[in-house]
Amino acid sequence: MSLAWDLFVAPLESQAFQKALLGGSLVAIVCGVMGCFIILRRMAFLGDALSHAMLAGVTAGYLFMQILFGVEAHAPAMLIGSIVAGIVTVALISFVSKVSRIKEDTAIGIMYTGIFAVGGVLASVFSHRIHIDLYHFIAGMVLGVGDEDLWLMAIVAAIVLATVILLFRHLQLTSFDPVMAASLGFPVVALDYVLTACTSLVVVSAVNVVGVILVVGLLVTPAATAYLLCNRLSRMMMISALFGVTSVVAGLYVSTWIGKVATGPSIVIASTLQFMVVLAVAPKYGLIADWLRRRSMVPQRLVEDILGTFRYSSDNRLAFADIASHLHDSPSHEAVRRALRSLERQNLMTESAGTWVLTDEGELEAKRLLRAHRLWESYLQHVGTPLDELHNQAHQLEHLHDEETVDYLDDMLGHPILDPHGQEIPEDFMHLVPGEPVKASLLRESMSATVVEVADELAKFDVAVPSIITAGPRTDGDAIWTFHLEDGRTIHLNHDQADQITVVLVSPQD
Amino acid sequence: MTSPTPSPPFAIEIANLTVSYGPVPALLDISVKIPAGSLVGIIGPNGSGKSTFIKSILGFVRPDVGEVKIFGESAEQAKGQVAYVPQRGSVDWDFPITVREVAMMGRYGAVPWWKDLGRRDRQIADQALEMVRMQEFAHRQIGQLSGGQQQRVFMARAMAQGAEILLLDEPFAGVDAATERAILDVLAQTKKAGRTLLVVHHDLATAAEYFDRLLLLKQRLFAFGPPQAVLHPRLLSEVYEGNLRVFADMQSREFVADDEVSR
Repeated sequence: MSLAWDLFVAPLESQAFQKALLGGSLVAIVCGVMGCFIILRRMAFLGDALSHAMLAGVTAGYLFMQILFGVEAHAPAMLIGSIVAGIVTVALISFVSKVSRIKEDTAIGIMYTGIFAVGGVLASVFSHRIHIDLYHFIAGMVLGVGDEDLWLMAIVAAIVLATVILLFRHLQLTSFDPVMAASLGFPVVALDYVLTACTSLVVVSAVNVVGVILVVGLLVTPAATAYLLCNRLSRMMMISALFGVTSVVAGLYVSTWIGKVATGPSIVIASTLQFMVVLAVAPKYGLIADWLRRRSMVPQRLVEDILGTFRYSSDNRLAFADIASHLHDSPSHEAVRRALRSLERQNLMTESAGTWVLTDEGELEAKRLLRAHRLWESYLQHVGTPLDELHNQAHQLEHLHDEETVDYLDDMLGHPILDPHGQEIPEDFMHLVPGEPVKASLLRESMSATVVEVADELAKFDVAVPSIITAGPRTDGDAIWTFHLEDGRTIHLNHDQADQITVVLVSPQD
Repeated sequence: MTSPTPSPPFAIEIANLTVSYGPVPALLDISVKIPAGSLVGIIGPNGSGKSTFIKSILGFVRPDVGEVKIFGESAEQAKGQVAYVPQRGSVDWDFPITVREVAMMGRYGAVPWWKDLGRRDRQIADQALEMVRMQEFAHRQIGQLSGGQQQRVFMARAMAQGAEILLLDEPFAGVDAATERAILDVLAQTKKAGRTLLVVHHDLATAAEYFDRLLLLKQRLFAFGPPQAVLHPRLLSEVYEGNLRVFADMQSREFVADDEVSR
């Protein structure tokens, strides 16, 4: 109890801590909101550039007031200076990337380092006049914020939030689809400048908290964290602001507990850790969710192999143990069970009392795979693969079973009837259905079909259109097709000739 | 007695349009009248001024000579009457936005900036989603849709905008066959609702099949009319400067531009 008190409540008694907490939170909220636009428009590097350009602005503003009016560290002047420096930087960047072949990221690199260097030179040349601690500018010192800084932060927060709320639709649409925004007559260029001006304001106030170097962390990290969790921009902004505040709070406490730790870095570390945790656990876009999704995905290969095992069953029924034992690479039972459930969901299989039964659809699918497997075996033999390797290679290849591939193999091999092991290759049941015109070469023995077209080259065979033909046995190493014609004649055709007769299968009951 | 016969309303009237960025005009002396309710394919080789043509209709460019009228109004004043459906590749599909929010964007032009969208706007957006049969996906993030569904969402946005003219930028680029059918379906439906559709298209082989009229562009307007008339070998070889192989098929002629084949 007293430990918790010491840890959490005691620091609050310090006024510096209170101010830091208030100022830090204000800054974190606007950083979070603007950060959403920055990451969606891929402007992170520009944010970095703006923060560095500030050095020149702050120095110039300081010198201006000090030399002309003799006022030391006049905060509004330094603020205006920073904003002017920001806008000058952006203008120079867009000028260079528009008029030359230099791309925008390079232009940013050139301009912000240049302007940062100008600031550095000014600050060192006039070091006798400037009494600001540059280290704090670089690394931030939230525990030293004064009332004036707090006011500045509050005003910036008010301006930026009001702008975002009022112009939400405009900013959303120009970020998402600038062409449509322009076609509706939205002032796209002006809106871009509004966003840049808001970013400059936010950066100026954030430098007080985490310093120039780490500003980008406060801008980008909470927004990216929210991006992993949200599907809507408005919600992303709120969550991002929240993550900004939590990292400021966590960073402040930790640096107070440990003491001697700079607050800026500990705030940024807190927000980075936050990001890493969310990256791991985010429900949709997180790594663990992704891993789980991938794990629960059933490999198509296994599903097909399971369908393949049913060729060992005469009645399309197999017990789980039989399925598992027929599978080649002995996958885990867990994986097999998942694959079976997936087959069940696809209505390819049903389970009854521990036995798995193929549905009609499942049977067709299994037949399709069997056809692919046996055609691949025939093909492999055709290209000279040793007989003992046929099965295993075909087992790999049968997963290439799209219709076109299988049709090509079938045609190229001359519509083989038996595979190299002497087992029958299922006929082309995908195309060979009543009502669909196919080449006569697809007909198997004793099938009857109506002739719908005969090419002129076959005139000598005098096949009538329409007429019914019935396929006889294939001869001469399956290379010659035999057809019985309606008028009692029998003709013998080679593959090419059989391809030139178009037929429509007669359904069995006709 | 003599009621004036209503002349067919023209959705877009372009008269003597010339647009230039440098010494060479991107578009030269283009005059065309596109009737309302037609489905027009805009074809032409790369760099033929198709995108400048689109920009002129959207009122983004100031013509050197000539004018573009949208239902009788100048294009610059008619902002919002032409809905733009972006190319798939130019959309950030990871953007945190839902299907319904995209449809609502169609209403952004109708509401002044200080006001919120009203109930009526929500209704219009929902009706538009219903029209393209996407209402059940209303709360999905747009990246979690199939290609055809994604196209439908943007069509819904264009409908919610209430625009009579829809401008589609290469909707068929890089889509699979199923998506292609889905998109054609939406186009036909939109046309049936009386809208005028202008579609930038790259593939000459399918142009005849997809559109009622084609607009053949290469700096100048080479032809505007029914596909059979526009896809004339002599015209095409002039526009594509011989980079064209003509495949004569038994039933139909198909044309494939060389730059398409070599990709």
